[in-house]
Amino acid sequence: MTLFDVVFSGADTVYGLAEGAINAAIEKHGADKEVSFPGTAYCLPCYYAVTGTKVTNLGELKEALGVVKSIETKNVKLNDVFMNGVGTALCAEFIEALKYLDGADPYEGTGCSGHLSDAVIRELGVPLVTGDIPGVAVILGKAPTADDAAALVKSYQAQGILVTLVGDVIDQCVEKNVNMGANVRVIPLGKDVTSVIHVVSVAVRAALIFGNVEPGDSASLMKYTFERVPAFVNALGTLNPVVVACGAGAIALGFPVVTDDVATSEAVNIKVPKSLIVQPDISKFNATSLEARDIKIKITNIDIPVAFASAFEGEIVRKKQMQVEFDGSRVDCFELVQSKEMTEIEDHKIELIGPDFDTFEKGSKHSIAYIVEVAGKNMQSDFESVFERKFHSYLNCIEGVMHTGQRDMIRVRISDAAYDAGFRAKHIGEVLYAKVKNDYDAVVDRCQVKIITDPEMVTKLRHEIAIPAFDKRDDRLKSLTDESVEVYYSCIMCQAFSPSHVCVVTPERLGLCGAVSWLDAKATNELEPTGPCQVITKEKVIDERIGEYEDVNEAVKKFSNGALEDVSLYSIMEKPMTSCGCFECICGIEPFSNGVIIANREYAGMTPLGMTFPELASMTGGGVQTPGFMGHGKHFIASKKFMKAEGGIERIVWMPKDLKEQVAERLNATAKELYGIDNFTDMVGDETIAEDPETLLEFLTEKGHPALGLDPMM
Amino acid sequence: MPFTKKLQKFNATVRSVEVGTGDKAVTLGGGNTLPFYSFDAPTTNTAKIGIEISDMGLAHEPDCIKEVYAGCETVADMAKKAITMEGVDFLCLRLEGGDPNGENRPVEELVAVAKEVAEAVDFPLVVEGCKNVEKDAELLSKVAEALQGKNVLLMSAKEENYKNIGAAAGLAYNQLVGAESAVDINLAKQLNVLLKQLGVDSGKVVMNVGSSAAGYGFDYLISTLDRVKAAALGQNDDSLLMPIITPVASETWSVKESVATEEDAPGWGCVVERAIDMEVETAVACLACGSDAVILKHPTSVATVSKLISALS
Repeated sequence: MTLFDVVFSGADTVYGLAEGAINAAIEKHGADKEVSFPGTAYCLPCYYAVTGTKVTNLGELKEALGVVKSIETKNVKLNDVFMNGVGTALCAEFIEALKYLDGADPYEGTGCSGHLSDAVIRELGVPLVTGDIPGVAVILGKAPTADDAAALVKSYQAQGILVTLVGDVIDQCVEKNVNMGANVRVIPLGKDVTSVIHVVSVAVRAALIFGNVEPGDSASLMKYTFERVPAFVNALGTLNPVVVACGAGAIALGFPVVTDDVATSEAVNIKVPKSLIVQPDISKFNATSLEARDIKIKITNIDIPVAFASAFEGEIVRKKQMQVEFDGSRVDCFELVQSKEMTEIEDHKIELIGPDFDTFEKGSKHSIAYIVEVAGKNMQSDFESVFERKFHSYLNCIEGVMHTGQRDMIRVRISDAAYDAGFRAKHIGEVLYAKVKNDYDAVVDRCQVKIITDPEMVTKLRHEIAIPAFDKRDDRLKSLTDESVEVYYSCIMCQAFSPSHVCVVTPERLGLCGAVSWLDAKATNELEPTGPCQVITKEKVIDERIGEYEDVNEAVKKFSNGALEDVSLYSIMEKPMTSCGCFECICGIEPFSNGVIIANREYAGMTPLGMTFPELASMTGGGVQTPGFMGHGKHFIASKKFMKAEGGIERIVWMPKDLKEQVAERLNATAKELYGIDNFTDMVGDETIAEDPETLLEFLTEKGHPALGLDPMM
Repeated sequence: MPFTKKLQKFNATVRSVEVGTGDKAVTLGGGNTLPFYSFDAPTTNTAKIGIEISDMGLAHEPDCIKEVYAGCETVADMAKKAITMEGVDFLCLRLEGGDPNGENRPVEELVAVAKEVAEAVDFPLVVEGCKNVEKDAELLSKVAEALQGKNVLLMSAKEENYKNIGAAAGLAYNQLVGAESAVDINLAKQLNVLLKQLGVDSGKVVMNVGSSAAGYGFDYLISTLDRVKAAALGQNDDSLLMPIITPVASETWSVKESVATEEDAPGWGCVVERAIDMEVETAVACLACGSDAVILKHPTSVATVSKLISALS
């Protein structure tokens, strides 16, 4: 038998049952006899939603059966499988509806709910929409043992998932005293397989009520249930054709089916990727189902023996209170995020390799490495460093833990109080797992953490995995140029206080606050699609020299709400990019030398322009274009795109000494590459050399600064 | 040179949102000019005024308000009286007693008050929560359920609880959703986009882009109102074309200008006049900058602002 044979035979069986039941009912009651479910304004909701036709009496029901016949075509196409599945569901609804003739209450005393009223759906619908109910499990059939059934139901219940039960699994749960009822989110629907329609009816009415889907618009209906109703089916025990046909109906609505019936699945060679999954191990049904339906459970409680809150972020663990220290400046240590294939990761696995804190003497120093491995359909290796930068904040939020540094220059201290409370190595893993899973649930589907305290292993991994990974990232960053990427990003995080400012973040020009690189902006956009960082295309070049694009201008106009018309990416004189006020540095034109000076926020003294940083800031911020002045991040100073239109970094004639030292290495490298100048920063003045233009000019002349030979900037 | 009148025409129109049902229903928004620029285009729909009462009755109200509602024993009595005031377009019930840091009245009790009020008056109703995001998520969802068919505006869904309130009011029970953000055009926009993604019809959303009393960070509010209106009309920005409602009374009646006694501030004159002045001045400034509706407390303020609206429209 093929899958087609099985589904078609199942559909025919149910159709036959429905036909027989309807004919018998008409014979007994006549065609005018009223048919309805109690407590719904949608007649026979599934039939109404799919066809737009309201069935009110037995005669109309008979006509409806004819319609079902017409959709149950039997060609050997996948679509026919789905249509027969839908037809089967509709027949199930007809059979169930007949049970309610004459206002009967067929489920009274059975412990099962049967049909659910509109009021229940409105009540369940709100938590479903808000995600308070993260999913709907439909369990039908019989589990290998009653204990398996109870364990499966309880695993969903613990995650807040709404569980509906059909068939023998109900008795198995009763046997194990599983608490059932709508209030505990476990609803036994009925013992007959046709009672599964009552949960389908919930999904369908949700689409009508919450999705404003027009009855009869079956395409929109299926789109809604697929996108917005996070339901899935667990078919337990031997699959008979009727169950398979029902399953086809579920898949048509977008609900994946997980089965443990390996034999039948193999016999009919069933393959519907991502929708029909064979999982022989019932203890893995939960994880398999959630992943198949893409349901992410929010972790509200991190399982650690100490508090976790941002209040502890600034807490300092001093030597005296220190139980143990891991210091990357003395021994090998590192932290790393790595993306892996889904199959390589077991979600929430936390592994400790090496001794735990108990074996360390109080106050001693050791090696540590923690590797967070993540996988996900939307994961990109560019996000690794974005997550990794958050570790500092995550670990500091643990009461009694202090973290500084990054990559392989980290230092972590655990306080004696945290140790006494029971804090051990695996808890670092718990925190990293919970935070990464929660904060980045848009891209992370699975996550596992390895904590390594075995010093030899740490050393080995540092050299074999970590350092190559960091080098690879640095190479990637170096290779990221404005030309090598397809899009830039906007950043309007600061608009709360600088309403018309928009940053255009490019690989070679990070946000002027220094905190938002192109990769950060990209990740922010991916994680929060309606948030402050939006994609900006750059297809329509206006002027390559100053970096002006039609699409960038359009974006700037839109995001500044019309305040800015056009902006250049690489010029300080023509349409310079605006500043909010959070710039790390300000660059301003110095007319005597044809150059520019740069002052950083930390610099409190006077500049050769006769203005201090705050004075410069007052004319640069506020989202207005001031040609000749520009706010920017420190990292931008060594960029090849730094005021490229006016000649680039060789225009820099003065910087505070501190800043000069911070950027010297990278700036000199750029100067060497662009102009062949060695030790460029030696030619750049600072406050120890000059605070006025005349002295500065003398110094520059003496050093032969290249700016002196350039054209005047204005 | 002769003066040539140049009209400022916008290609956008703020959405009209009807609150309430039947003859008394009021429409918020619908304008396509800057506020009161009736010389640019005829005013299709004037700004509206709501009168505010609280589930707490009169216990915490100043004497001048107690006088207004003298003889009222229940909140429903107050509601009946409130809607008879000159210039009132809709009623606003504030369920401030729900605040967990205040009276912490249970949800059922507050829902009962809302039901009582809704049954007592046949008038458009706005229900405000207690400003605690968690409590409001539950409270306003339950109120939405209890008042089905009344087409009430529930205030407010915020970034933290918009899913609950949006789903209950906007999807399940067919009410109107107030979208509240904190004086920032982008946050206002983002919340509207999020509500839309949730499935809420943008035609059922009214914005509260923030509120404050004149002189209390008011410039932030004014510039936000200005910018929202300018972006909505000037750029036809669909995610900002919702009408704006601004609660005024809840801000102005607690500032020192409105509460300092005549003994404490002898130079400031009559306390009642001061409180009314604060309310009127704040409301008028909001209306002049883009609010399509304001919520006030004192009948004199309501009457005064109402006169101003009819004179300028």
